[in-house]
Amino acid sequence: MSSCAEKITRGSQYPKMYEEKPLTIAVMPPINQTNHVEAKDYFYTTLYAPLCEKGYYVYSPMMTMEMFQTESAYDAEQFIEADLSQFRNILGADAVMFTIIKSWKRNNVGGKIKAGVEYILRSTKTGETLYNREGLITVDTSVNGGGGLLGPLVSLAATAIKTASTDKVVAGRACTVFVLSDMPEGKYGTMYDKDQNQLAGKSYIKATVKK
Amino acid sequence: MRKLFILIVCVMAMSSCSTQKSLYSWYDSEDASYTYTKRGTEKTLEEAMVQYKKVIEKQKGVRKVVPPGVNAEYGFLLYKAGKKEEGLALLKAETKAYPESEKFISRIIKQLEK
Repeated sequence: MSSCAEKITRGSQYPKMYEEKPLTIAVMPPINQTNHVEAKDYFYTTLYAPLCEKGYYVYSPMMTMEMFQTESAYDAEQFIEADLSQFRNILGADAVMFTIIKSWKRNNVGGKIKAGVEYILRSTKTGETLYNREGLITVDTSVNGGGGLLGPLVSLAATAIKTASTDKVVAGRACTVFVLSDMPEGKYGTMYDKDQNQLAGKSYIKATVKK
Repeated sequence: MRKLFILIVCVMAMSSCSTQKSLYSWYDSEDASYTYTKRGTEKTLEEAMVQYKKVIEKQKGVRKVVPPGVNAEYGFLLYKAGKKEEGLALLKAETKAYPESEKFISRIIKQLEK
């Protein structure tokens, strides 16, 4: 129950989300600060569905990737602090989601993957950060998720998107779903503009989730 | 009685943290699309298309509509595979379901028709 004891509401933690009400989100390829080169790919694909599930219109990463490559926008590093108006002009995006993979460690024996990722959503209108949260998430890929207080969140990660994918993709997705769980919902969410009083999580979260 | 009360409180505490039912059914579409983009083979393309079709035809999520981007991705791949009319129809279905995608999709159509 301690995980529910945070006192900050989403309305006070993420006020700009409610002011700007972004609908369309472009997902940038992750900024990978680890030596694990492939983490960038795993992570890129795990952002799209969880953001759609939060009620946003998310541009298909498969299609934007081609566009980013032709427009020389594949490297997110050059945009993370830059003017984002071109994403508005070219795509019609209200906001851009950046991710920074800070650590990625796989323990083959225990079947655990530990990922440290920061999520930053910036407005294409004002350039301001609308949402920012970081997680150090250990995903246990060796056993099935079960009860406990983390159960509901974990089961969303594991069952809402049933897949035959590799553990790494599952781990990336579980991390994203977990960390973005307190993100205010977008237009297509059932709680759109009604979740201001729901509690926000800590801006840095450390947790273990089961697949 | 007391035990029942405690149980109810626990269930309420847990449900306040839980997330609601999925908005959309995704099946294996994400993985199939990921595998296709990584490998680019005929077989992975076929599998991706099977999954897109399933997502479009069998929506059991809360919204009961095709999720953002799926009509567009499927249409994009069909167009590239030579099924131009079918592909264009799906790209247009994306803008009909999600008018906010208009700018992006019309740009994609222009690129494809070059």
